[in-house]
Amino acid sequence: MMRMVALRLALTLPILLGVSMVAFALMRALPGDFAQASAGTTTISVEALDQIRRNLGLDRPIWAQYLAWLGNALQGDLGLSFATRRPVLGELVPRFLVTAELTLIAGLMALTLGTCTGLASARLRGRVDWIVRGWNSLLLAVPNFVVATLIVLLAGLYFPTIGIFTYVPFAEDPVANVVSLLLPALSLALTVSVTISENTRAAVLEVSSQDYVMVARAKGLTASAVLRDYLVRNALTPVITVTGLQMAALLGGSILIETIFTIPGMGQYLFESVTTRDYPAIQGIVLVAASVVLLVNVAVDIAYARVDARVSYD
Amino acid sequence: MVAIGAAMLALLLLVVVAGPSIAPFNAAKTSANSLAGPDATHWLGTDSIGRDLLSRLIVGGRGTLTITFVAVALALAAGLVLGLVSGYVGGKVDLVIMRLLDVVFAFPVFLLAIAVVAALGPTIRNLIITIAIVYTPTLARVVRGPVLSVKRWDHVEAARSVGVGEFRIAVVHVLPLVISPILVQTSLTLANTIFTVTALSFLGLGPPPPDPNWGSMLAEARQFMELAPLTVIGPAVAIVFASLTFIVLANGLREVLDVGNR
Amino acid sequence: MTHTDDRAESEILAAASPSLDRRTLLRLALAGGALGLAPAALAQSGAGAPKRGGRLTIGADADPIGLDPVTLTAFSSYDFTALIYSGLLRWNADMKVEPDLATGFEQPDPTTYIFKLRSGVKFHNGQDFEAADVKHTFDRIRDPASASPSATMFASVKEVTVVDRLTVRFDLHAPSAAFLSYLATNPTGVIVPRGVGELATKPVGTGPFVFESYQPNQQFTLKANPSYYEAGLPYLDTVVFRFFKDQASLTSALRSKAIDMTWFKDPKVSAQIVRTSPDLVSAPGKTTRTFPVWMNMKAAPLNDVRVRRALSLATDRAACLQTVLGGSGKVAAMVPESHVGGYDGAGEMPYYKTDIAAAKRLLAEAGHANGIDLGDYLVVAANPLDVSCAQILQQQWAEAGIKVAIKPMETAPLIGMWLKGEFPTLLSVALSWSPDPDAIVSRITSMHGQGKSSGMADAKLDAMVVEARTILDRGKRAEAYMAIQRHIADNAYVLDIYQYPLRWEAWWSHAKGYAPLAANIRSFVRTTWVDK
Repeated sequence: MMRMVALRLALTLPILLGVSMVAFALMRALPGDFAQASAGTTTISVEALDQIRRNLGLDRPIWAQYLAWLGNALQGDLGLSFATRRPVLGELVPRFLVTAELTLIAGLMALTLGTCTGLASARLRGRVDWIVRGWNSLLLAVPNFVVATLIVLLAGLYFPTIGIFTYVPFAEDPVANVVSLLLPALSLALTVSVTISENTRAAVLEVSSQDYVMVARAKGLTASAVLRDYLVRNALTPVITVTGLQMAALLGGSILIETIFTIPGMGQYLFESVTTRDYPAIQGIVLVAASVVLLVNVAVDIAYARVDARVSYD
Repeated sequence: MVAIGAAMLALLLLVVVAGPSIAPFNAAKTSANSLAGPDATHWLGTDSIGRDLLSRLIVGGRGTLTITFVAVALALAAGLVLGLVSGYVGGKVDLVIMRLLDVVFAFPVFLLAIAVVAALGPTIRNLIITIAIVYTPTLARVVRGPVLSVKRWDHVEAARSVGVGEFRIAVVHVLPLVISPILVQTSLTLANTIFTVTALSFLGLGPPPPDPNWGSMLAEARQFMELAPLTVIGPAVAIVFASLTFIVLANGLREVLDVGNR
Repeated sequence: MTHTDDRAESEILAAASPSLDRRTLLRLALAGGALGLAPAALAQSGAGAPKRGGRLTIGADADPIGLDPVTLTAFSSYDFTALIYSGLLRWNADMKVEPDLATGFEQPDPTTYIFKLRSGVKFHNGQDFEAADVKHTFDRIRDPASASPSATMFASVKEVTVVDRLTVRFDLHAPSAAFLSYLATNPTGVIVPRGVGELATKPVGTGPFVFESYQPNQQFTLKANPSYYEAGLPYLDTVVFRFFKDQASLTSALRSKAIDMTWFKDPKVSAQIVRTSPDLVSAPGKTTRTFPVWMNMKAAPLNDVRVRRALSLATDRAACLQTVLGGSGKVAAMVPESHVGGYDGAGEMPYYKTDIAAAKRLLAEAGHANGIDLGDYLVVAANPLDVSCAQILQQQWAEAGIKVAIKPMETAPLIGMWLKGEFPTLLSVALSWSPDPDAIVSRITSMHGQGKSSGMADAKLDAMVVEARTILDRGKRAEAYMAIQRHIADNAYVLDIYQYPLRWEAWWSHAKGYAPLAANIRSFVRTTWVDK
C-alpha cells in the first residue's frame, strides 16, 4: 500500500515538470510581454521599455529563464510577481484559500443535494426516481456560468438592493464571508450534484441487493434502520470518492464563477496574470492548480484501492 | 428516450443546416434601434447595437454547434487512435501515452485556450483545435479501459492463435466491443463541449465578431440585462436546450445499448 | 513676472491650459466649483457645511501596477497615486493649471522656470519637503536606468538646480508650451522623497491621503494625511477602493450601496443605473477619449491617399456615435475637445461628410473599381465599445465595396503591433486623456517611432507639430492644432470616429463636494465628505 502511494506520488513529479514546461513555453510564445501590457497606450520610449525588460530579466534566453525559475521553485521560491513586486507565494496563498473555500462550500452543497436526491431516487423508486432523473438531466444541461448569470439577472431584477457581488474577506467577518460565497457556490454545486446523485443511487441499489442487507432485513430490522446502519456506511465510500474527483472539476469551473461574481480567487488571478503577462504569477498558479488536480487523482485512486480489493496497481 | 433525443437533435441540425436562411434578419445588421423589447418585427427584441436577437440566436446556434461537432469528431478520432494503441499495445507505449495525456489533463483548460487564442488569434479553427486537445484524454481513457479487458477475451485470443494480424484484431475484434461505451461517452462529450465552447466565447475567446455565438451573446448582454432581460435569457435557454439534447441522447443510448446499467 | 498663490490665474498658466467647454464650465459651477475658488470653497458650496470624518468606498475596475510614480507605466495606478502624491502644480476642476507644492514661479526667460516651494510641507514619513526632493525626482525620471515613462515628457528639461532650500530652477533646451501641463499631471510630475526605497510597494508622498494597506483584487485602503498642507483637508478619515473586475458587478455594487462611487465605461450602463434612483448623481466629465482607426501606410493599398480618403468618405461617424454611445459624445478629430485646439465635433473637416458614391469613385481611380479587401482590422477585445464600433464600420465600408475582417486581440500584443507598425492594414486602439495635445499629434509624425513605423513621411506636418510645441500664446496654439488636425483629416492619415468621456462617473448623493476631473484622476476626493 505504502509502496503504491509512493509510486503514484513519484509519478506526479514528471507530470508537474511537464506542465510547468508547457506553461512556460506557451506563455513566452505569446505576443506581448509585461512591459508592453502594463504600459498600455501610455507614451513611453522604446528604450524605457527595453530597460524595464532588462530589470525583469526578460532579456535573457528563454531556457536560462526557465532553469532559473525551476531552480528557485525547487527550493520553494516562486519568485516576485511582476505586477505587485511581492513574492508570488504570498500572493497565491490567500487566493488559493478563497478558491478552496468556495470549492468546499460548493462540494458540501453538491454532496447534500446529490445524496438526498440519490437516496430518494433509490429508496422510493417509481415516480420519484423518474422525477429525480429528469431533474438531474436538466441540471447537467445547465452550465455553471449560465446558472450564475441567471442568478445575477434575477437578483438585479427583483432584489437590486442585495449586494451579491460584495465578497467579504474571511478575516473581516467570517459569517458574512460564507454568506457572500453561497450564491457562487450554488451555481457551481448544481451540476456536480448530478454525478453524486447518480452514484449514490447506483451504490444504494447495489448494496441493497447484497446478502447481508437482505439478511438484516429478514431479521426484521426496519427499512430505515437498515438504511442507516448498512446502506449509508457502505454506499458512502464511493460517493465520497466521486465527490473528491469532482473537486477537481469544481476548481476548473471556479474560473468562470469567480469572474462573474468577482471573487478574488485563483481563477480570477490566473485570468488577470495572463492579461498582464505576469509570468511568475502564471507559473505559480499553474503549478498549484496542476498539483491539486494530480493529488486529488492520487487520493481517489488510493481510496478506490482501499475500498475495492479488486483494484490493484501493478 | 432515444426518440426524444433524436427529435431534439433534428431541430438542432435544422438550425445548423438552414441557419441564415431561416433567420428573419441579417444577424450582423446593426441599427440605432438598440436594446428594444420584443415586438412584431423583432420577436425577441434587439441587442446593444440594434441587431435582431432571434436571428442572432439562430445564426449563433449554427456557429456554436458546428464548432462543437467538428471538435468532438477530431477529439474522438484522436482518442480512438491513442486509446486503442495505448490499451492494445500496452507496456511502455501505454505508459508514455498515458503520462502525456496526464499532462494535458492536469493543465488548466482555460490557460490553454487563452494561450492558443492569444498566439494564433480567435478563429473558429483555433477554437476547434483547442477543444479537441482538451477532450482527447477523456475519450482516450474511455477507449483504453474496455480495450484492456476485451483484448484478453477468448475470441480475441482465438483469433490471435490462428494467426490473424494484430492490427486486424484491434480493428475487427476489439473495436466493435468497445463501441457502445464510446457512443455514450461521445454524446456526453458533445454536451460538455457545448459548455466549453460557450464558456470560452463567454470569456471572449470565441470566434470573432460579427459572427454570433451563444457564449459571447450571453457575455455581451450581461451589462445591459436589466434593460433587456431577453438578451440574456435567449442564449441561456439555447445553450441549455442544446446540451439537454445530448444528455437525453446519452441516457437513451445507455438504456438501449445497456452500458453501465448496473 | 511673478506668480503667487493668490494670483493663480496668470496669463502663462492660462496659456498652458486647455480650452474650456462652456457647458462643462456651467455644470461644474452648478456642481459646486466656480472658477478661481479655492478647493475648500468648492467643497462647501452645495448642501451645508462639510462633515468631518467617515469613510468613502470607491469601486475600481483595475488593480494598480506599482505605486512608484517615477517608474509606474500602468494607467490603473493613477487613481491611487493621485491621492497619495502631489506635485509642484496641479489641474483644477476647470482643467486650468494651479499651484500645489509650489507657491508660484518666475520665468526670467522662455527656457527658465524658478519655482518657490511651499514651506512646512511634510512627506508621509515625517521628512520635510525641500528643493532637493524636486531635483531628486527629476534626476530619477531622467536616469535611463529608472525606465521612467515620464522621461519623454520631460525631455525638454536640461537641468534642475537647487537654488536654496525652498527654491528650485528648471532650465529647458527650448521653449515648451507643454512643460507646465506635464508638471501639473499626476503621476507624471509628482514629487517623491529622497532616500526612500521601494516606493512601488510602500508609497510615501505629500498628498492628502496616506497609504494604509493593499490586498490585491480585494481592497486598497488610504487614511487621511494629518499633516496635509491645505487647512482642514481632507474631510474623510478613510478612503477604500474595492475591486470589481467587470461592469455588471460594479453596477450591482453601486446599487446595493456596497460602494459610494464608481465609474463606468459605457454611457448606456451609466444611464441605466442612474435612472434607478434619484439619489444617484452622474457626471460624464469632458470628452477625453478618442476612438481612431490607425492605418498602416507603409505599403499598398493604404499608402495611396485616394484609398484612405475613400475610407473616410465611406464612414458615417455620426451613425457610429448614435449606435454605440447612444449619442453621448461627439464626432472626433485627432485632439479631443477638452484640449487646447480640441475639435468640437461640429466644425468642417475634410472628407468627413459621408459620400458612398464619391468613395467608390476614388477607389476606382486608385484601380479598385470592383472594391477592395483590406484584410484584418485589429481591435482591442477587452473593450466592448471598440468591438461594437468596428462592426458598424465594417458594414458602412462594405457599402462602398471595402471589405475588412474584424480580429479582436488581447491589448498587449495589439499595442505592440501598433507601435511597431507591424499590423496588416487597420487597427483601432482608443487614446485616453494626455496632458497636452502635443503628445497626441506627435504619434502621427514621421519623427515619432510610431508614426515612422506605420509609414508617415510628411515633412510639412512634422514642421507644423514642432512649431506648435513652442507657441506659448493660447489662442495661436489652438489655431495651430486646428490646422494640424485639418491637414491630418485632409490626408486621412488616421480616421478619428468619435470622442467621449473615458469615465462616466456616478456616485450616491451622500458623497458631497466631489467633482470629476478630465485628467482622469479623482483629485477631488480630497474635498469630498460623506453625509449619510
